[in-house]
Amino acid sequence: MSPEAFSKVKAQALAATELSLAARLGYVGLLLVSAALTAVVVSLWLTEPVLPSRTQLAFGAMSVIGVAWMSLAVWALTARRPLFARDRVIAGGMAVTFSAVFAAGCVAAVVLTSSAAAFGALATSAVMLIAAVAILQRARRHFADLVYRRQELEAQLRR
Amino acid sequence: MRPFLFFRREPFARRHDSQIVNTSIPNADLRVDELLAIRCQLGERKAFADLIDRWHEPLWRYLRRLADSNEAADDLVQDTWVRVLRGIAGLRDVSRLRPWLFGIARRIAMDRLRLLYARPAATEDALDGLAAPEVDATLETDLASLEDGLAALPIRERETLALFYLRELSVEQIATLLEVPAGTVKSRLFRARQMLRDQFTVKGVSA
Repeated sequence: MSPEAFSKVKAQALAATELSLAARLGYVGLLLVSAALTAVVVSLWLTEPVLPSRTQLAFGAMSVIGVAWMSLAVWALTARRPLFARDRVIAGGMAVTFSAVFAAGCVAAVVLTSSAAAFGALATSAVMLIAAVAILQRARRHFADLVYRRQELEAQLRR
Repeated sequence: MRPFLFFRREPFARRHDSQIVNTSIPNADLRVDELLAIRCQLGERKAFADLIDRWHEPLWRYLRRLADSNEAADDLVQDTWVRVLRGIAGLRDVSRLRPWLFGIARRIAMDRLRLLYARPAATEDALDGLAAPEVDATLETDLASLEDGLAALPIRERETLALFYLRELSVEQIATLLEVPAGTVKSRLFRARQMLRDQFTVKGVSA
């Protein structure tokens, strides 16, 4: 086997690792879960009228941890495991589903407790849901554009 | 693939600069590249295998000229693929896949050379990395003599010549890739051909 052919086998193996869909969607899941948990923690922290300083500190620490996980997920999705058009559609679907479930949970919390924290979380979940729908629509449009161009090129090459 | 230098109908060293127009890339070839880039952007796993199949060897050979050892070229090409796989989703102009690939490969090779230069105690490594061996005195074939001739050129001229004649990029594409004006690319090509011709004249090989 020539050196370049051997090197090509290694490149194909590298691609299989780099292109793992599970890793990409794992980061999408991490982003969604950490965003929801951070929203709940921040809502509780900001809406509780009187909190001992130790509890304040704990809420602060949990918020920082949540933001750190979100940042890690965003960094990984932009630099290490960027989403391809098809993955973006899947990720958009995941985001819409997750945000809808989160919003439903917040609605239930508002109905059952009528607490300020539940209202805060509900507002955040509504923003998340709107953003998720916009992301999904954009992803579908981008996917459709690429499919259209692909078909155009395939037709030109068949001629 | 563009025919090898020695089998060109017109000796490349005698052509005037203004004649340097790379017209050998058929439109269908460019469309195949564009289609490949789009399939990759869609996330089709098979497309990445096809991309590697189509471009691995040209990239490896290009990097081999800059690195001058199989192992170094291998490392560089693997780094190139990592960056390509991570960056292709964001490639805006999919019709420019070819210069984009070679641009990444070149930046990775230059980063490595810069690192080698920066290491004070690594003079020998740096020389290995730069690859400027002497031309073999016993020229058995035209191919071998050309390989040696190319290796003896300064790195800028060697790189430009390899991109133009062996990797089939146009002057404009090379200019974008190397971030220099098109005129500079032409003058490097002119200089490189002149140097090669001089080498072959000395060795008694007709270019």
